[in-house]
Amino acid sequence: MEPYDVNEYRQMKANDTEQFLKLAKSVQNDERVPVNFSARTMTRVREQHTLETRSADEQFLKFVRNLPWKQHVPYAFEKRIMARIREFLTPDPLTVWSRMLWRAVAPCFGVMILAALFSAKEPTTAFIDQAAFDPAETTTETVDPESTDFETVMLASFDDLEYTW
Amino acid sequence: MFMGVSAHTGSAPLSQMQVTEIDIRTDEELVEIVVGGEVDCFEELITRYQPRVFGMARKYFRNESDVEEVVQTIFTKTFQKLGSYKGTAPFEHWFMRLSVNTCYDALRRRRNRREHTISDMLFEDESWQDRLGNIPSDDDQEGLEQARELVHTVLDQVSDRARIVLTLQELEGHSVKEIAEITGWSESLVKVQAFRARKEMRASVERFLMKEKRL
Repeated sequence: MEPYDVNEYRQMKANDTEQFLKLAKSVQNDERVPVNFSARTMTRVREQHTLETRSADEQFLKFVRNLPWKQHVPYAFEKRIMARIREFLTPDPLTVWSRMLWRAVAPCFGVMILAALFSAKEPTTAFIDQAAFDPAETTTETVDPESTDFETVMLASFDDLEYTW
Repeated sequence: MFMGVSAHTGSAPLSQMQVTEIDIRTDEELVEIVVGGEVDCFEELITRYQPRVFGMARKYFRNESDVEEVVQTIFTKTFQKLGSYKGTAPFEHWFMRLSVNTCYDALRRRRNRREHTISDMLFEDESWQDRLGNIPSDDDQEGLEQARELVHTVLDQVSDRARIVLTLQELEGHSVKEIAEITGWSESLVKVQAFRARKEMRASVERFLMKEKRL
C-alpha cells in the first residue's frame, strides 16, 4: 500500500470542487412561472391597498394632503412688523439710563471695596513720627489719618449743610 | 437694485406676477445689507416670506390672532438673530428652521389651551369618514374652514413633536432629510418620531370613530 500523500489529496479535492462549480454554472435557471402567478399577486396587492386606503388614518392623511391651506396675509402686515422693529431700535431714555446705572454697579462696588481696604490700613510711619514730635497729639489711641480724611471728605457736604442751618 | 418689470420670485405663478418694482437682490444680499445697518431692507424679506410663513403657521394654529402673533414673533426673532446667519446655507433654509422652531415653542406654550373637543367635531348630517372622502371645493369657504377645523382637532390630540413631524411630512410634503435639516434632529430620530407620530395620529382618529359609533 502506497503511503498517504496529503498534498495529492488536497489537489484531488480542489479539482473536484472546481469540477462541481463548473457543473453548477452550466445548469440553467428554471424561469418558468406558475400559471396566473402575476394575477394572483396583483389581487393580493390590491386587497392590501384597499385595506390601507380604507383605514381611517390613511383616509385622514389623504384628506390632509389634499386640503388647501390659506396663505392670505393681513393688510400691511410687513409695515406692522417694521414698526415693531423700529421700536426696538429707537432707544428708550429710561431704559438707557437704567442700563447705564446697572453698568455702573460693578465699578462702584470695586471702588467701595478699594476705599474700605485703603481706610482699614495701618497708620503710616510718617504719621507716627509726626505725632511723636507734637506733644499735644500724644495719645494712646491710634487714629488712621487716611480714614479720617476720607470721612471728612465724604461728610463735607453734610457739614456745610449743618452750618447753613 | 430694482427692476421696472417684475422678476419671478418665490412660488407665485407667472399669471400672478405684478408689473411693479420688484427687488431682484437675493435673500443673502439683502441680509448682508440689513446687517450692515440698512434696516428698511428687511421689509423686502418680510414681503417675500410672509405668505409662506402664514400658510405654515395656519397649519399649527387655528386662531387667526395666534397665527399673527407667531408670525410676528418669527420675523422679529429673525431680525434679532440676523447677525448669527453665516451664509453657509441658503437663507431660506435658515429662516424656515427658525420658523418651525418658533412654531414648536409656541405650540408648547399653548398646550393647555385646547378650544375644541372631539364631540365638537362630530357632524349631524354625515359620518366622519364620509366627510374625509370629500374635500370641499375652493368656492365652498365654509366647508374648507370646517375641514381645517377637523384637521386641527385631530392634530391637537397628538404631542407637539408628533404634530411638527406630521405637519412637515404629511401637510408640507418634506422628506426625512429635509425634516432633519429643518428641525436639527438626526435622520434616524426623525424616522422614529414619524413612526410614533403616525401611531399617535391613528389613535386620535380611532378615538373619533369610537365616539361617533357610541352616539
